[in-house]
Amino acid sequence: MADTQTTEFTLDTASVLASEEGGAEIVGRSPWALAWRRLRRNYVALAFLVLFVLILISCALAPVYAHHVAHTGPNTNHVADTFTKNGKEIDVLKAGGITKGANGETILVPAGAPVGPQWFSAGGKYVLGADLNGRDVAVRLLYGGINSLKIGIGSAIISIVFAVILALLAGYFGGWADWLITRVFDVIWAFPVFLLAIALGTALQVGGLQLGFTTLQGNSLWIPTMIIGIVLIPYVARPVRGQILSLREKEFIEASIAQGASTFRVMTSEILPNIASTLLVLFTLIVANNILFETGLSFLGAGVRDPEPSWGNIIQQGATRLATAPTLALIPGIAIVLTVLSLNIFGDGLRDALDPRAKVKI
Amino acid sequence: MTRKPRWVWLLSVCALAAGLSLFAAGCGGGGGSKSGNSSSTSSSGEGGTASQNQGKTFASFRVTWDAPDYFDPGLSYTVTGWQIIQHVYLGLLGYKETAGPGGATVIPALAQSLPTVSADGKDYKFTLRPNLKFSDGTPVKASDFKASIERLYKVDSPGVGFFDQIVGADTFSKTKKGGISGLVVDDNARTVEIKLATPRGDFLNILGIPFAAILPAGTPPSDQSTKGLPATGPYMQQSYKPNRSFVFVRNPNYTEIPGIPKGNPDKLLGTIVSEDTAALQTVLNGKSDYDFRTIPTDRLAEVQSKFKDQLHLYTPANTYYFAMNTRTPPFDKLEARQAVNYAIDRAAIVRLFGGLGVTTQNFLPPTYPQYKKIDTYTHDLAKAKQLVKQSGTAGMKITVWGLNEAPSQPTVEYLADVLNKIGWKATPKLLAHDVYFTTIGNQATKAQIMYTDWYQDYPHPLDWIDVLLNGNRITETHNNNVGNAKFAAADQLIEKLKKEPELTDPINNQWATLDHDYVVKYSAVAPYLNIEGTDFFSKDIDAGCYYNHVLFQFDWTAICKKS
Repeated sequence: MADTQTTEFTLDTASVLASEEGGAEIVGRSPWALAWRRLRRNYVALAFLVLFVLILISCALAPVYAHHVAHTGPNTNHVADTFTKNGKEIDVLKAGGITKGANGETILVPAGAPVGPQWFSAGGKYVLGADLNGRDVAVRLLYGGINSLKIGIGSAIISIVFAVILALLAGYFGGWADWLITRVFDVIWAFPVFLLAIALGTALQVGGLQLGFTTLQGNSLWIPTMIIGIVLIPYVARPVRGQILSLREKEFIEASIAQGASTFRVMTSEILPNIASTLLVLFTLIVANNILFETGLSFLGAGVRDPEPSWGNIIQQGATRLATAPTLALIPGIAIVLTVLSLNIFGDGLRDALDPRAKVKI
Repeated sequence: MTRKPRWVWLLSVCALAAGLSLFAAGCGGGGGSKSGNSSSTSSSGEGGTASQNQGKTFASFRVTWDAPDYFDPGLSYTVTGWQIIQHVYLGLLGYKETAGPGGATVIPALAQSLPTVSADGKDYKFTLRPNLKFSDGTPVKASDFKASIERLYKVDSPGVGFFDQIVGADTFSKTKKGGISGLVVDDNARTVEIKLATPRGDFLNILGIPFAAILPAGTPPSDQSTKGLPATGPYMQQSYKPNRSFVFVRNPNYTEIPGIPKGNPDKLLGTIVSEDTAALQTVLNGKSDYDFRTIPTDRLAEVQSKFKDQLHLYTPANTYYFAMNTRTPPFDKLEARQAVNYAIDRAAIVRLFGGLGVTTQNFLPPTYPQYKKIDTYTHDLAKAKQLVKQSGTAGMKITVWGLNEAPSQPTVEYLADVLNKIGWKATPKLLAHDVYFTTIGNQATKAQIMYTDWYQDYPHPLDWIDVLLNGNRITETHNNNVGNAKFAAADQLIEKLKKEPELTDPINNQWATLDHDYVVKYSAVAPYLNIEGTDFFSKDIDAGCYYNHVLFQFDWTAICKKS
């Protein structure tokens, strides 16, 4: 018994299950049920899942917050506006400028410093302060979260779908198909992936992207989503292909082929279910990775275009005011850290739960 | 990994997050008065105050500079380059080295005197000063001037447009052979004759800018920035490492020319820093005596309160404005253009520039004698909305073009928001500096409304209204008249004023009328700001010697150190 206790998630043997359930009848369980069983014992992973869900819900409620609490939109400028705090009128951006003194001397009053976080002392306005255009940072943070998450999740889906198709073709057929696909991966891999994404993002900025039936405008969220999704395909496809190559040699695949199953059937009914757990784990990790990727691109001006908010471009604007308004960059930075951390830790837990022996890395 | 370390790690993460939150709260607290340094400070302005150290030489002046485009006078077209090379490469004429409006006075430099000009304003005759030498000891000849102007065409200089009225320049620009027939020189008599096809009232001003500098006749027709060329001014280039550093030293063969002093520092040591905060830090750390770059707006209050005596403000001749494309809807309608002028809150935009600016509605800068203050457009969103309705363009999609850097970015985002408020559907489009002006200057772009600005090439209204608004100068690409302003009556008046040799009061009044018409009658542009510049010095520098030139800005040759 001592030995089995130390192996925790790694080996769920029948005897362990029986002992844990007080000697009750051993019931056959699906791999998913077993995984869920392991996952729900991993409190750290679950705590971070809850955190991620909270972040998702908060961002989804951005329009409600903007309308009913902050009373402003994410892109509405309040450059010369004021708000009331404790009965006192406060400039959203500090007023000032140049005037001439009595002796003709130039008098400067530095202006434009945005108001700092008000923490609900101003009736819900400027809870996290204002940015350089007098926009409510809390509103932009939530809307920016929607955009960052949309891009992170959307690009992860693109990466996974294309990576699985290509990995199936390469891993299952092998030969020239494998050679061709892996060489294409090699070519993409040979590019510094971030620079490639910056180059694409910048190039598509002016004219948008012509897709035959439609044109994506330069400021469309689809552009960073597609760029990130496509450049990361090889990074997902490589490990999946390796797993498929291994599965292809298994007896149950050969048995299926021997029984006359079509290629499509073997792929969908035999191989895909066996890599599903890997894909699930990869998905969570890739979403986290892609959120960071999007943040970097937007920070450099090659991702989400202003005035549309994203956590990356909010940091970019805040970076110019680090000395006087550090919260502008810090707050979205903390949001990114929490989101990515929650996804990574949950993904880690999911991996342990789905396949304790797997060593999926991205 | 076992459970225990995982929980410990989790606690660490929580502690870190809490710490960050506390830090954020600590940094951001305080509400509206947090960063609001309400103290106001005055500066000594353009300078020119007498000092006991004036004229005293010293070993070296260490400066932190922005990356110049070129140090080759045939190619340089930025203040970053001109501010240095105007003391290195002289032309026939120059500008008086003094503070205030006097700096716009054209003086003879390598020419013995101002030229004699024919009655029809087409013929200029100069005589070179005797015994002039380049810094390498070779004599300066009249033919060097002709070769220098011809070299501009050979190196595809951005300055060739200034000389296109010289007879034969047009042909030479295409063939690059045979010389420019309108330049007649005699080395023995040291005479230079310039024949113009049509009179040009600003031609003397043009001959004072670095594009007209005299270089040795054999100067290669390629960028010589890193090599340095034989100089005629008080200083010469010793070295230049692009994006790193430069050194200028005294020209041993310079004989003082009246109005062009020898200068105080023996050596100018430049370090190139392309980031505002880092540049400021070099002076604060004592590694540099002067910061060329503008103080970052978030450091301005701190610098002003702690280093008030080291900070100088100056007003370069500039105008920041929104150009509206009169060929493209909705701005082909006068009401739409007027709506923009009424909708923008100019005082609000000053905040986006950190306070470093003065609102304006004039196209010409306030330092010009032709400036007559326009005060037509009071910020009125309701009136702007009404004008948009009248124009019949409400609901139209508009792209607002701008640079993806401050102060353009926040200004363009502000404008887009304002345009949305008055009934259009506006989105900003922000581009990198490298491609921005060529993009909006290309007719194929069909840019509707755009952020732009202008700093003078030389102090003359032609450099503003003719270059930027004359409908006869619209081009398909590299168009300076980005709004395609074309109004027959105004164009005719520009062509007439172009020929006036002197800026007399009646002529200045006509320029003022044009300024008014472009902004009010045609509403072709929406000027909003004259930006203010900053010069920041180390505590070792004597502020009494500081002055700011109307064209070349801070004169580093006149600066002196505290004794």
